[in-house]
Amino acid sequence: MNLILFTFIVLLGFTSYYFGRKKAYTIQSTKKRLTALPQFYGYYLAIWCAIPAFIIFSLWAIFEPTIVKLLILSDYSNQGYLDDELNLIYEKTKALSRGQFTGEITPFIEASAEKYLSLRSIAQSSKVVIVLSAIIASVAYAYKRISSNSRTREPVEKFLNAVLFTASLAAILTTVGIVFSLIFQTIDFFKVIPLFDFVFGTHWYPAKAFVRDSSEALDPTMYSDTFGAVPIFAGTFFIAFIAMCVAIPIGLMSGIYLAEYASTKVRQYAKPLIEILAGIPTVVYGFFAALTVGPFLKELGTSMGLEVSAESALAAGGVMGIMIIPFISSLSDDVITSVPQSLRDGSYAMGATKSETIKRVIFPAALPGIVGSILLGVSRAIGETMIVVMASGLAANLTLNPLESTSTITAQIVVILIGDQAFGDPKTQAAFALGMSLFLVTLCLNIVALRVVKKYREKYE
Amino acid sequence: MRKNGVKMIKIKAKDVDVFYGKKQALFNISLDIEENQVTALIGPSGCGKSTFLRCLNRMNDVIDICNVKGEILINDFNINDKSCDVVRLREKIGMVFQKPNPFPKTLYENVSYGPTIHGMAQSKQEMDEIVETSLKKAALWEEVKDRLHEPGTGLSGGQQQRLCIARAISVRPEVILMDEPCSALDPIATAQIEELIDELKKEHTIIIVTHSMAQAARVSQNTGFFHLGQLIEHGSTDKIFKNPDNKKTQDYITGRFG
Ligand SMILES: Nc1ncnc2c1ncn2[C@@H]1O[C@H](COP(=O)(O)OP(=O)(O)OP(=O)(O)O)[C@@H](O)[C@H]1O
Ligand SMILES: [Mg+2]
Repeated sequence: MNLILFTFIVLLGFTSYYFGRKKAYTIQSTKKRLTALPQFYGYYLAIWCAIPAFIIFSLWAIFEPTIVKLLILSDYSNQGYLDDELNLIYEKTKALSRGQFTGEITPFIEASAEKYLSLRSIAQSSKVVIVLSAIIASVAYAYKRISSNSRTREPVEKFLNAVLFTASLAAILTTVGIVFSLIFQTIDFFKVIPLFDFVFGTHWYPAKAFVRDSSEALDPTMYSDTFGAVPIFAGTFFIAFIAMCVAIPIGLMSGIYLAEYASTKVRQYAKPLIEILAGIPTVVYGFFAALTVGPFLKELGTSMGLEVSAESALAAGGVMGIMIIPFISSLSDDVITSVPQSLRDGSYAMGATKSETIKRVIFPAALPGIVGSILLGVSRAIGETMIVVMASGLAANLTLNPLESTSTITAQIVVILIGDQAFGDPKTQAAFALGMSLFLVTLCLNIVALRVVKKYREKYE
Repeated sequence: MRKNGVKMIKIKAKDVDVFYGKKQALFNISLDIEENQVTALIGPSGCGKSTFLRCLNRMNDVIDICNVKGEILINDFNINDKSCDVVRLREKIGMVFQKPNPFPKTLYENVSYGPTIHGMAQSKQEMDEIVETSLKKAALWEEVKDRLHEPGTGLSGGQQQRLCIARAISVRPEVILMDEPCSALDPIATAQIEELIDELKKEHTIIIVTHSMAQAARVSQNTGFFHLGQLIEHGSTDKIFKNPDNKKTQDYITGRFG
């Protein structure tokens, strides 16, 4: 029903566009000069169609459920029901009206369900009537108003401005919303676990928190030595570091090769091939790391007399690095290619060789972009989850030995949130605290990156 | 330099053909360039002046599809020969481009670029000296001596072009190629650069491409006129401008086409 109504309104919008433009043409044919192109008259009318429809639809969406609920429950007032019971009755009514109610049907509820259905259908038809009449009234009003010298261009531009603004606002508000949802849970978490223990504790063992029976009262002492985040922060940076050790040199060098040395033909094939790497799902990298690279490293280690764990930071970090190569190579290829040819010519004309030119002129000129691509790679590495979960294990060891297994923030969030969890439990809240810290880390990283790039720009532009 | 009144020939182009892919851009160019003189190359747009200039320091190598045939002798050595070392060649033949193209580095680094890659300075002091003399020769020193460590891209257009000239002369090239060096500049900056060219010809051989007849007449001693990839006429600037042999040259100089 709503879909039909919506389609109809869209059709109305097109019709009003058509009529607006037609009126503009009519005016034009009387040799009067218009203040805007005929299309603007069309857009103007279409906007007068869209705005009332939008307002009424949103008002309806906000108020209809509340009003219907009030009307239904008014039958039960003054009968001594508690709020909770009233809510339950309302839920039962709704379920029954949809035919999904399985419990015992009392006559009261049956009556309510019938009333609910009739209310809904009244609401629906009045919505149709109101929306359509509002649209027709507003379009008619606007249609009468437009004349040769009415202003249509400015309102249309303003409307577009408002639409675009709303879109960006939505993006910003979502971010703010996410941060807030993190903040409250995080604060709750730190009410139980002291911040100091979290930041400086060296034991991360959330499984311990499983043991608690939820009926028992919270005993903070029980959580000491459970949520010390040092090992997983260390693990996160360590694995990211290993990944960047693989990704930066290979990515940069292949980017430079593609941009400066490769012939058009090689470049034409090599670039898409490298970019395929970016399209492989991380799960695939994950089992590549866990089933191929991990065991291979273990065997290699054994043959050299080293003890290598099957799940090692090296396997996870190395494969993660491979995953990040295309980001760095492709982006740095782009920035290097966009360095103006005149700089290359200037350098060659001084007698510089290709490698000197790259090292002394092109690389510095492309540096802001290259730093940007590297930082993008770093935040990918820090946020990467699947490879770590599959290849580096879940035990949060505090170690700097790449041959042992370590765990990362993201992997631990997975560990915590897999399976049953209760809201309000410190264990669940720990995930939020981790998410929050991850957010802060990447935020700082981005701020630093922007600073670096900006400072460099100021210096050379 | 004149020896017993005979002018020395610095560069001798013999039957030079240039192709961009299948398209021929220069046809059979033979031209002698005299030492310590300014030679102007003039001609309508697209006639191959830049292409010819780029042959002289083998900058056409940079363009994949470009193919140069023929002999170009500099100091009697054929630079199109396989044994020619492009790095050494370009050290001897400097180039200034149409659009100022300072590197995104400091003024100092811009000028010291050439000497550094050719290992011309043994100490910081020597390098400072090279930078100072180059900037002085380019008539830029007084304006920038207090800001040598600021980016070269922060200068005005005319200053940037003089910086590029300073960069080119820092390695003491024997020849300087200039491709429309004043086309992005105002009359005052143009006058400064022209003065500079006059000064530079004492030590360097200069070849300049220009679209301004007046400029060619002012700065050059010899002129070559190109048209559709052919060298129509060349000789002393006086003769070309006052009494050209070819009708096309006459028409171009008097502004009847091009
Ligand atoms: N990189 C290139 N690839 C293909 N063709 C080129 C290239 N550079 C120049 N050409 C062609 O060679 C011919 C000569 O060009 P050139 O740049 O030498 O002219 P010009 O005399 O310097 O012109 P202008 O006065 O406009 O600078 C032109 O027809 C041009 O289209
Ligand atoms: Mg040119």
